[in-house]
Amino acid sequence: MNNKFDMLKVEDSGDEDVNGQPKEKSKKVALPGEHPLQFNYAFWFSRRSPGKQTSYDQNLKQIIVVASVEQFWQLYSHVMRPSDLGTGHSDYHLFKEGIRPMWEDEANKAGGKWIVRLRKGIASRCWENLILAMLGEQFMVGEEICGSVISIRYQEDILSLWNRTASDQVTTSRIRDTLKRVLNLPPNTIMEYKTHTDSLKDNSSYRNTDVFMR
Amino acid sequence: MSKTSCQAIPTRRIVLNDASQLPADYSSTPGGTLFSTTPGGTRIIYDRAFLLECRNSPLTRSPPPNMPKIPGVTCPQAMKTKENGHAPEAKVAKPAEHVDEPQFHMDI
Repeated sequence: MNNKFDMLKVEDSGDEDVNGQPKEKSKKVALPGEHPLQFNYAFWFSRRSPGKQTSYDQNLKQIIVVASVEQFWQLYSHVMRPSDLGTGHSDYHLFKEGIRPMWEDEANKAGGKWIVRLRKGIASRCWENLILAMLGEQFMVGEEICGSVISIRYQEDILSLWNRTASDQVTTSRIRDTLKRVLNLPPNTIMEYKTHTDSLKDNSSYRNTDVFMR
Repeated sequence: MSKTSCQAIPTRRIVLNDASQLPADYSSTPGGTLFSTTPGGTRIIYDRAFLLECRNSPLTRSPPPNMPKIPGVTCPQAMKTKENGHAPEAKVAKPAEHVDEPQFHMDI
């Protein structure tokens, strides 16, 4: 069995990814007087336009990178709340800078995500709780967290949290427990996990998931 | 049982020149939180209450520089004037309304 502290080791990848390719960095930094974040995060938006045959990639737009708590609030206070994005098929993604919110990304390809389905009306509040926990490093799983997504759909809204290593059960169960705590989920909440490999196979993000009840 | 390897907790000295450099709350030590020295090294940890408090800072009032304009996302929907002449009201995230309200209960 893996030493559970392995995941806490500094994986000081610096400015290079595993292939040694320099990542595109915004060089965004916390300004004097601001509170720096552990990681820079990029905020993305995607919307599927009805009727048009466009790829996920084409619909995905990076809006801005934030490096401090204050820069995050500047952004957050000047974008629509998820619930006000209108009906339809929209997503906000907040990912560590350098990780694209795509299954195929180097940081995601061995990973997966926890999924929480929300009834309509509570998405904005849950999303805020999730991203504050992520930005504040509340998950305590080393470098494992990749990013968070809120997906606005017709019948329900879906919150997900992506991590690097789907096979690492110590990490995924710690993430699940923290997720339940920061979202204040009732004990019988159904949690679903899906590996990105499975998503690539069935080309779907939220179908055929593994269901966990506790 | 798996074998657990040990490593010394890394320490760091920070010199303060003035009492004003002391952190304001008890969960922090100079240079970071009490819990910042973890086996992986120093991490910057903020709890929810602290992050929400930062929202009221004057540094957060203006929108980020170079924010792209996406109608319905970073700026109001393209205003279609209705028959009565009123433009639809834009709903942007409102400033902190988080005055210790009880956490909601969720029916899922």
